[in-house]
Amino acid sequence: MNDALVGFLQIFNVQTILWIAMGEVLGIILGALPGLTATMGIALMLPISFQLSDATGMALLLGVYCGAVSGASIPAILLGIPGNPNAIATVYDGQRMTKRGLAGQALGGAVIASFIGGIGSLLLLMLFSPLIAQFTLMFGPAEKASLALVGLTIIASVSSRNLAKGILTGAFGLTISLIGTDPFTNSPRIPFPGIFEKTPLISGIHLIPALIGLFGISQALLDVERIKSGNIAPPQVKIEKIFPSLKKIASMWRIIVESTGIGALIGAIPGTGASIAVFLSYERAKKITSRPGSKLERVGSGALEGVFAPEVANNAVTGGALIPALSLGIPGDAATSVLLGALLIKGVVPGYQLFSQNMPLVYSIFFALLISNIFMLTFQLLGVRMFPKVLGIPAPVLVPSIIILSLIGSYAIQGQAILAAVFDMGVALFLGIIGYFLKKGDYPIAPIVLGLILGGMFEENFRRAVKLARGNYLVFFTRPIAVAFIILAILSVLMTYLRNRKSLVQG
Amino acid sequence: MKRILFVFIVMLLLLSSPLFSAGEKEAQWPDPEKTITVVVPYSAGGGTDLIFRPLVEQMKKFTEANIVVSNISGAGSSQGTNEVLSRPADGYTLLASGTHTVSATLQGLTEGYKQLEGIASLNWDPFIIAVLKTKPWKTMKDLIEDAKANPGKISLGNAGMGGATGVASVGINLAFGEVFNITPFKGGKNLRAAVLGGHADVGIFSQSEILANRDKLQPLVILYSEHSRLPELASVPTLKEAGFKNLDVPGGSFRAISVKKGTPEAIKKKLAEIVRKAYNTDEYQNFMKSKGLIPTYYELDKLDEYFKKIEQAYIPIMKKAGLLKE
Repeated sequence: MNDALVGFLQIFNVQTILWIAMGEVLGIILGALPGLTATMGIALMLPISFQLSDATGMALLLGVYCGAVSGASIPAILLGIPGNPNAIATVYDGQRMTKRGLAGQALGGAVIASFIGGIGSLLLLMLFSPLIAQFTLMFGPAEKASLALVGLTIIASVSSRNLAKGILTGAFGLTISLIGTDPFTNSPRIPFPGIFEKTPLISGIHLIPALIGLFGISQALLDVERIKSGNIAPPQVKIEKIFPSLKKIASMWRIIVESTGIGALIGAIPGTGASIAVFLSYERAKKITSRPGSKLERVGSGALEGVFAPEVANNAVTGGALIPALSLGIPGDAATSVLLGALLIKGVVPGYQLFSQNMPLVYSIFFALLISNIFMLTFQLLGVRMFPKVLGIPAPVLVPSIIILSLIGSYAIQGQAILAAVFDMGVALFLGIIGYFLKKGDYPIAPIVLGLILGGMFEENFRRAVKLARGNYLVFFTRPIAVAFIILAILSVLMTYLRNRKSLVQG
Repeated sequence: MKRILFVFIVMLLLLSSPLFSAGEKEAQWPDPEKTITVVVPYSAGGGTDLIFRPLVEQMKKFTEANIVVSNISGAGSSQGTNEVLSRPADGYTLLASGTHTVSATLQGLTEGYKQLEGIASLNWDPFIIAVLKTKPWKTMKDLIEDAKANPGKISLGNAGMGGATGVASVGINLAFGEVFNITPFKGGKNLRAAVLGGHADVGIFSQSEILANRDKLQPLVILYSEHSRLPELASVPTLKEAGFKNLDVPGGSFRAISVKKGTPEAIKKKLAEIVRKAYNTDEYQNFMKSKGLIPTYYELDKLDEYFKKIEQAYIPIMKKAGLLKE
């Protein structure tokens, strides 16, 4: 108990709280700008954290982390551009809500959801850290490959209107995920290696410029067309009741519980990440709300439920990713690996040593996370009434600004490596143009993103699992978790198929 | 009249532009208005990043110019290396180089050290071979005997084929008659998770990774000629003590600072001086001590010679691993 008190005092002082607030604001701004991520924000603040005490430094970085994860939902909801990969799944229902004039409600809901997810995962982190860490260790290459397979089946449901088109764009995503180098031998895997080997193409197509292109630039191009045809009416913004009622939140309890669980667990498994967690939770919410007899609005139609699920999940990832980071010294995602780095530089060894010798620091991290979440809620709530004003900007001004911001964002990801940064702008533009034609042809975009995220994860872990089993391809059927995932994947595909057939027959 | 005035002004502007003042550059280096960038070719918070950030904090004390760390990761370490090579050789861009630069160059991913010159080296971070405590092997001898009895059955994981742990794993495998199933993982974190979860049998780790999981990992041998300087790991035997006398496996990460070839000698000397002063501060020395890093300081030409030695040790192993590009 004494440790907890020391940890409490390390955080509850004016200086530390102000640092957290600053980190939070910075995080929200970075998160809201397309292309800028939590990882980048934390790395930016790293030199400052060196000058602060261990606890205060960590608190600052945690503030940036929480802020950036929640800030990403703002452009996702208002403009249909995810600020960073955390908000990929928020785009669908968030944007549809905006089109229905419910931007304020979507933003308000997202903030509440982020808060619930953040606090939920903090509780899991505090109470079940060793247990969850132990559980995530059961996820070896075979399990991760099967998990990626489950993720790929989501392609079927995010493209339910036309499965064939979804599979086609999914295959395109998988194909571009192969570009780069072979994960085992490092040999180039690109067309004309003699020419492209020395270009940034050798490190593959990165997710963030792809996201910016496929969601942001393609949409902006469509808007340009609409401006030219004079057929553009800004969506009405009705801000009456921003916050969902307690009754509404209570009615979504299943979505909240499952999304928190999915977020925290996926966050805790090293080598996965928030982008997978948000898709999985969105998918689950879709299943829950489309059950016959469900009183909830159907996810996919611009429902608050569809914003809630991914937003709970992505903030649950923050606590989840800290679970293996603190208890094993293994970061759950890219952002936490920078956090761990900050600790290591200060001479704190996470893992066994941290828990056996430095419990006060562990407690101070818990408290810092709690305050970060409270600040996130406060600052975002202050902004919720302000942000939708963006939509009032006339389209001929707004659309070019979006294009410029998108390009700056894709440049900034690798802004220090000029060549790679310019290349990323090219990727964003190129995929933007592809995305434009795909949208015109009513092809779904999400499967490309899923293919790009999961392709590498599946390939790498599949090959690794087979290598560890000395060439035995049946290894996936010898592990319970892997088998469960494979069954889940098959069921998911079958269900979609049957549902589609049924609606065809009925319709 | 107007035209003459115009020409005059243009000439004045041209003369005052940096194009015409190149000669003064060396004398003024470093320009306090400019920023010196240390390119770390791995992501922030990673093992390599950790070695350089504390050094940069100290370097700031010894120069008026601003110094920043810039993480440019990708394609092994070659993307960051290529970025340094694409910038002018003016001493404002430094590369966090080392064993990773040697292996990336040998793989043909970058011109690497052929186009680089050493400023100063920092340290070796020796690797430790470890297994999960619940596995049956308590010593390196146990492990090797079992591996020889069941060739290919025991998996030996590394943190990526092209990196230093990859080279060490292939080196170990060669030394013991290729009895291990060498499996690459994506970075140290996934390797450690796999060994802790029992998915991979044996792993090659840095000292701080072992410390983080000291309750679960059983260190078998340190791949260095001396014991670890960390009290917690000081009892881990060397290969020699473990009963393998004539083995020499390059097992560790070596870190240094390099610049692009063609950087003026005077600037290189000044840089070396800044690094030397930063390296010798109590803060950095204590940092190395606390991490068990083995101080290995070479400067300029001596460092280039030392890099050649590492290259010679790497070539046969990289060749065997099929990674060497000739």
